[in-house]
Amino acid sequence: MIVNLLIGLPDQRPGGLALSVLSALVAGAGALLLGLVYATVCVGAPRLSLLVQGALAVLRGIPLLLLIFVLAQLTTLPLAAAGFAALGLYSLAHVGETLRAYLATYPQAMRDQARVMTISPVRELLQLRLPWTLRQALDALGTHWISLLKDTGALTVLGIGELTTIARLLSERAATTQWALILLTAAGLYLLAVLALIRVLRFVKLRLTI
Amino acid sequence: MLLGATGLLHQALATVTIWALSAVLALSLAVALAVGSSGTRTALRLLAHGAITVTRGVPTSLLVVGAGILALGRPSPAWLPDPFPGTPPELALVAWAVTAALALGSTGHLAVIFRTGYQSLGPARLEQATVLGLGPLRRLGLLAREAAAATLAPTGTRLVHHLHNTAFAALFPVAELFGWVQEGANTTFDIGRYTTAGIGAYVLLSLLIWALCRGVEHLLGAPARRQPAVVPA
Repeated sequence: MIVNLLIGLPDQRPGGLALSVLSALVAGAGALLLGLVYATVCVGAPRLSLLVQGALAVLRGIPLLLLIFVLAQLTTLPLAAAGFAALGLYSLAHVGETLRAYLATYPQAMRDQARVMTISPVRELLQLRLPWTLRQALDALGTHWISLLKDTGALTVLGIGELTTIARLLSERAATTQWALILLTAAGLYLLAVLALIRVLRFVKLRLTI
Repeated sequence: MLLGATGLLHQALATVTIWALSAVLALSLAVALAVGSSGTRTALRLLAHGAITVTRGVPTSLLVVGAGILALGRPSPAWLPDPFPGTPPELALVAWAVTAALALGSTGHLAVIFRTGYQSLGPARLEQATVLGLGPLRRLGLLAREAAAATLAPTGTRLVHHLHNTAFAALFPVAELFGWVQEGANTTFDIGRYTTAGIGAYVLLSLLIWALCRGVEHLLGAPARRQPAVVPA
């Protein structure tokens, strides 16, 4: 049982916790990259980006389950890809706004210093502003990534074999006395994954502050 | 299940019911956990911390699956009220179990928001409240009002997330909006229409929750702003 929960059913590997972590990682990384682009555009051209900002605000109002359902039903993407894309869009809606807010608070004094040192605007953005923004936003991003890892459970609506789906399948097949044990094990695995992520985030924060 | 505009209204009402009941439960539990985890009794504090960690670390989807499976095979007791529109009365127990699971899914997050808001008042302010000699409940009310400025915005965001989590109820035969979208799209193949209606309804409900929280924020902030400015003698 534990192997199935960790890496998925024999015919659907990778699955289980491995797939949950993988999908959160892919969606989170994609959303972070797009979020940085979005934040840069929004801060650089606030009026031009109003439409995109509005679209992202609407996106934040849509439940992840519905977003997954829409992408799976209205696009020709394979189910797993639709699920990953929905997770990525959902993450972008939150990460993009967080990064935009932090990028906008970049101190004017630091910008002036860069200008005095004749650092080009592109170099300033890539080497100073974006790293500063990421450092400042780490706590907020960390909270979102923890939430994202747990939200991978929404992929169960498509039957993609991540941890919640596997736990659900195994518990539905199991005898009445065993289903609680399966669900508790899955809950424990999620908890361990979240605690591990918190440790990683603490380590990253410590490295960034030194 | 009704599939037209009437169906949409019915399911939106069902979603609002599940959201309201689970939100009240989550807010009450969160206040209890926030108070417990900020208290002086070690055992109570550890217990509250443990509960917060577990409810924050376990996905709501899994909590709903567990609660649903637990309740599905059992008959609904006759004394159990059935406030869930659209859900058959014999499945009221499942609806209540899902509601409780949804509440637990948000409890830890809300407790951390409340605790952070309480701590943000600072030790001097907290001591002032103690010196006033108020009873525990009145003191809690006063501090909650003081901390509202820091807690209402994240509470609003969490309550919107909580609304979105109600969609997990569709994993079981409990009437709500996402289940209606799924069934309507699968029955009529008019996917665009049902998903657009669902998205519209969720966005509108999210907006209403956000506006409600901003309204409360404004109400609580208003008296402070109305205070006359201190004029030096």
